[in-house]
Amino acid sequence: MKNFYSLFKKDCQMMIAGKFIFVAFGSLLTYTLFINFGYINFMDMQLYNVYLYDPQGTQQEVSELIRPVASLEELDDALLADTNGVGIDASSGTPNIILYFGSEKVDNHRADYALSLLRSGDEYAAQIVGTNTTEQKQRKEMSCELLFIEIVAVGFLGIASVLFKEKQMGVIRVHAVLPLKRSLFVLSKLAVFLLSDLVFAVLLTLFNVGFSGTIRILPAVLVQTAILSLIMALTGFGCTMLLNDFKQFSLAYLVIALFVATPVFLSANTSIKMAWIGWHPFYQVYMGLKNAYFGTPVTSPVYYICTACGIAALFVVVQTAFRKEMGKEG
Amino acid sequence: MIEVKNLTFSYGKDKQALHGLNFTVGDGEIFGFLGPNGSGKSTTQKILTGILKGNGGKVSLFGQDIATAHTQDFFQKIGVLFEFPYLYANLSAIDNLKYFSSFYPAEQLRDIGEVLEELEFKTDFLKKPVSSYSKGMRQRVSMARALINNPKLLFLDEPTSGLDPTGAVLFRKIIEEERRKGTTIFLTTHNMLDADLLCDRVAFITNGNIVALDTPKRLKEQNSSHRIVTTYLYQGRREEKTIEIPELEAGIPFPHDEIISIHSEEPTLEDMFIQYTGRGLS
Repeated sequence: MKNFYSLFKKDCQMMIAGKFIFVAFGSLLTYTLFINFGYINFMDMQLYNVYLYDPQGTQQEVSELIRPVASLEELDDALLADTNGVGIDASSGTPNIILYFGSEKVDNHRADYALSLLRSGDEYAAQIVGTNTTEQKQRKEMSCELLFIEIVAVGFLGIASVLFKEKQMGVIRVHAVLPLKRSLFVLSKLAVFLLSDLVFAVLLTLFNVGFSGTIRILPAVLVQTAILSLIMALTGFGCTMLLNDFKQFSLAYLVIALFVATPVFLSANTSIKMAWIGWHPFYQVYMGLKNAYFGTPVTSPVYYICTACGIAALFVVVQTAFRKEMGKEG
Repeated sequence: MIEVKNLTFSYGKDKQALHGLNFTVGDGEIFGFLGPNGSGKSTTQKILTGILKGNGGKVSLFGQDIATAHTQDFFQKIGVLFEFPYLYANLSAIDNLKYFSSFYPAEQLRDIGEVLEELEFKTDFLKKPVSSYSKGMRQRVSMARALINNPKLLFLDEPTSGLDPTGAVLFRKIIEEERRKGTTIFLTTHNMLDADLLCDRVAFITNGNIVALDTPKRLKEQNSSHRIVTTYLYQGRREEKTIEIPELEAGIPFPHDEIISIHSEEPTLEDMFIQYTGRGLS
C-alpha cells in the first residue's frame, strides 16, 4: 500500500507537470460554455414547414400543420425561401416529395415527417419516450458525446504524453530493480487517469445536466465512464510501450481515434446505419454511456462480462509490453 | 554472493547472447566485467538483476537460486547504477531520491543529505529540477539513488562515465569505501583504469564468452616481458638500455653516472584485453 501511494503521488506530480490537468480543465470550461450558450440555444430546430400543392384535393385528412400552396411556382418559391421545408406535389393524385436539398439516407426522416402529416392523427402520433424536456434531452445528449470525446481522444493522449516522458527519461527501467510489484506501476497510472476521468464526468454532468438530474443518473454514468476510461488508459499505455516515439504514437492515435469515434458517432447520432456497428466494441460502450445519461442503464450481464474480459485482456498485454520495455537497452 | 554456472541466454532463435558463462563473486569483492559493446555484459547484468528471464544454466545470488531469488527482499538488498542517469527530469535531486527511497524500509535508508554531501553534490542545485543539471551532477544523483538503501550487492554500469577527472577520483573513493563496508560490487565497464584500480578480479567477455578471469595484477604479470627500460647519463651522454629483470638482482649491470628513469615493460590491462579478445573496448 505504501508503494502504491508513492507511485500514485509521483504520477499525480507528473500529470500536473505535464499540464494535462490544465488541458482537462480547459476542455471542461469549453464544453460547458458550448452546451449552455451554444448548443441549447442554437441547435433547437423548429419543426419543418411542409408545403402541399394539391389542386384536385386528393388528400383528405391533412394536418393543420400543412401549408397549402396554389401553384407549382408558389411551391418552388416557398422552398427557395425556406430551404429546410418539405414540398409535396400531389397534383397527380400521388404525393411526391420535393426537397430543395438533401441526401437520400440522411433526409428520409424529413420526408417521413411530411408524409405523416397527410394521414389521420391517431395512427401516426409520435410516441413520447421518457420525461425529459427538449432542453434536458439536448443537455444530456451533448454531455454524453463530449464526455466520450474527452476520454477517447484527450484522456488517451494524456496518458501517452505522461508515459512517453517517463520512457524518454528511462525511469521505467529503474522500477525494474526497485522492491515493488511491477503491476503496481500500471495500476497506479490507471488509478490516476480513472480518477481524473471520473472527476471530469461528475463536473461535466453537474454543470450541464443540473444538480437534481445529475444525482439521478450519476452512479450509472460513473460506471460507464470507468469502463471507457480503463479501456482507453490501457490502450494508451500499451501503445506507448509498443511504439518508439510520440511521432509514431500520433499516427496510431489518428487511426484509433478515427476508428473509434467516427463510425460510433455516425451510427448513434445520424440516420446513417451500418449493419456491423453492433460488433464495434466502442459503439456498445458509447450506447451504455448514453443509456446511463437517459436513465436506462445497461443491465445485461453479457455487456459487463465482455467489458471485464476486454479490460483484463488489455491489462495482460500491457503488463507484457511493460516488462519488455524494462529489459530494453538505454 | 554470486555463483554462475554455464549461463546461457538467447534473444530469439538465432541470437545467442551468452554461451555458458562460469564465474563466482565472493562477499565483499569488487568484480569487474569487461567487454566491448554487444559482448553480453549488459545481458549478464540484466539476468542477475532479474530484468531478463529465461536464461539457461544455474545462477544463484545470496545463496538462493535465481528462479526464486528475485523477491522484494532481494531488491531491498541490491543497488543498481545504470549506464545512463535515469531520473525524473522535472523533479529535484531531493524529490527524486525521496521518491526512489520510499520503496525501501525506513530503517534501512541512509540520510539523503549525507549521501549527496559525500558525492560532493552542489547544494544550491538540491531543489532545482534535474533537467537543469550537468551530466556529472545527474550521475551523482544516480549514484546516490543506488547507494541510498545501503545495498549489500551493488551493480555499477560505467560508474565514471560523464564525470570529469576529479569526479572520477571521487567515485572511485566512494566505491572503495563501499568495499570497506563489505559491499559486494559487480562493476561493468569499458574503463580499464577503473577496473585496474578498483577490481579484485576481472573477467574479459567477448561474443558471450569469458576469455580470461583473474586479478588485474596476475593478468598483467602472466603476460609481462620481464624486462625494464632504463634511461641514464654516462660521461655526459644520455643513453637507454633494456635489460631482463633477473639481471637486476646483482645491481645495475652497466656503468652509469645517473639513473634518469626506470620503466617496467609490463602490459596494461587494455593490452591484455586486446590480446585475449582480439578487439579493443570501444
